[in-house]
Amino acid sequence: MSNNQTLVDAIVDMREDDALQMVQSTLDAGTDPLAILDDCSEAMEIIGKRFEEGDCFVPELIMAGEVLNQITKMVKPKMTTTVKTKKLGKIVFGTVEGDIHDIAKDIVAFMLDINGFEVTDLGVDVPPAKFVDTVQKTGATIVGLSGFLTLAYEPMKETVNALKAAGLDNVKIMIGGGQIDEQIREYTGADAFGKDAMTAVSLAKQWVGVN
Amino acid sequence: MEQPQAPVFVPSPEYLAREKRFNDAIALRKPDRVPLASMASFFMTRYGGLTNAEAMYDYERMAAAWIAGAQKLNWDMAPPAFTMFPGPVWEKLGIKTFRWPGHDLPENLPYQFVEEEYMLEDEYDEFLSNPADFVIRKMMPRMSSTLQPLGILPPLHWLSSGYTLTMLGAAFAGAPPIINMLKQIIEVGEEMNKWNATQARIGMELAQLGYPIITIAFAQAPFDWIGDMFRGLRGVMIDMYRQPDKLKAAIDIFTDFAIQSAIMGAQQSGNPRVFIPLHRGSGGFLSNEQFAEFYWPGLKKLMLALIDAGLTPMPYLEGDYTPRLEFLAELPAGKILGHFDVIDLKKAKEVIGDVMCFWGNVPASMLVTGNPQQVKDYVKKLIDIFGDNGGLIVDGAVDGVPPESKPENVEAMIETVFEYGVN
Repeated sequence: MSNNQTLVDAIVDMREDDALQMVQSTLDAGTDPLAILDDCSEAMEIIGKRFEEGDCFVPELIMAGEVLNQITKMVKPKMTTTVKTKKLGKIVFGTVEGDIHDIAKDIVAFMLDINGFEVTDLGVDVPPAKFVDTVQKTGATIVGLSGFLTLAYEPMKETVNALKAAGLDNVKIMIGGGQIDEQIREYTGADAFGKDAMTAVSLAKQWVGVN
Repeated sequence: MEQPQAPVFVPSPEYLAREKRFNDAIALRKPDRVPLASMASFFMTRYGGLTNAEAMYDYERMAAAWIAGAQKLNWDMAPPAFTMFPGPVWEKLGIKTFRWPGHDLPENLPYQFVEEEYMLEDEYDEFLSNPADFVIRKMMPRMSSTLQPLGILPPLHWLSSGYTLTMLGAAFAGAPPIINMLKQIIEVGEEMNKWNATQARIGMELAQLGYPIITIAFAQAPFDWIGDMFRGLRGVMIDMYRQPDKLKAAIDIFTDFAIQSAIMGAQQSGNPRVFIPLHRGSGGFLSNEQFAEFYWPGLKKLMLALIDAGLTPMPYLEGDYTPRLEFLAELPAGKILGHFDVIDLKKAKEVIGDVMCFWGNVPASMLVTGNPQQVKDYVKKLIDIFGDNGGLIVDGAVDGVPPESKPENVEAMIETVFEYGVN
């Protein structure tokens, strides 16, 4: 249940000024900052669901992320305790070697993050060895490989092979991008591919055994 | 006194037959055979044994590979070589909007666009009140290290008298960074002349060999121009909420620019087909409502203006356009060549089969990692679905054929059309 339904609505309806004003007056009134963050989570959950159902698209995700960032900045100084929320799982994410496109990767990493995963985003043009190192260091159980161009096919395959060669057979690997389909999943040896950010979220949830 | 005459190009019967085949398909008249044409780029030079870096730095070998490849592949229309870019020009220009092989990417990657906010969120007013001044003094220094000194110039309208042109204009021209920049600009121009001469030669030699070039003129969807070149995807999508009217005003400016520059390019080249690569209009990025409000008006106006000018728009519909088929159905029949990437084939046939010629769609994944039999089966399927009214041209789904395509798969695509696509 939300603490402040009007704030949830303002975020969901992309009314940025209204949302920020409400947060400010709530903080001024001495309300618990954690309640505001709860409302944000609820709003993001609704937006995620709408995205999944095809009722909202990339502009809403980007705008909601922007509003969320601003609210977090306003709320943080007022926080007296740090809350450690339990994460669903750890994911290492990045655009594969040779490809410098970050837009799709950023959107998917953001959606995984707001859906409760701890995401280590390695950025773009990430060599296979870096994926392997990071999985070993973080103990992540899922790897996400992004690639916009057809040039990404080979480095995706090399990254999957490198993870297997390092003995990380239990790590689940998903791939995605404009030119990725079942043929490329098979070619690279990845466990699954996804056409959009919500597919990535449902795959990750399925892999960690959460529905 | 007699004027010297430029050599007149007399098209061969083969050249004319290819043009007719291609134009018949666009007009939804059944041609003698399903045509083949591709906007292939680095595939052409890789097919000729060049690395991507060599293709961007060695103009002569690029041209030789291009011409030999076009002949060997024997598509009805040759790919335009303008999808390639000259590495030396980009180096001299200090361009920051691209990374490329032979410079800061490995030798066999393609060049890639660097998407940044070249115009910042709070700069719309400045841009809208004086677009040229903003582009020259603000954007060019951000896009090119060579042109960085332009940032020190005063507002250009200050130079509107003989007095200020001397006292300010000439004085700035004498500033050491500007003198140095002007010298570098001359080098850029001289290098670009070499590249353009190569391009002209490729076009002329291919024409003499009987192969028309698909297209020379180019335009972009006005929304993409702002989204890709000015604000970046993130920026433009936030603008849709925070400053929609200013975004639309900028889109309007670039709608007029797209129309004028495409018509000029077509007139100068004598080639009536206009390449229009589309980026953020596909399903997934925007809702149909957002598409209808921000993307479609400018793109539709552009395509209708080109048709009015007697030209053929070639929208290159990257991504999945299935959700947008109803919009495409608003366009006049037999005037447009639509290049498709991912699409529901049956629905496309149903909604736009009698509106525009269907081009492309052989999956990139199949051409790069598949086998000839898969490609053959897929091409047959396309011919079965779209061939009946003549509105089909066969090609890969994206990049024409992707650079990394296996030659035997591309050859299978071509052979299947010659075997199975004869009417």
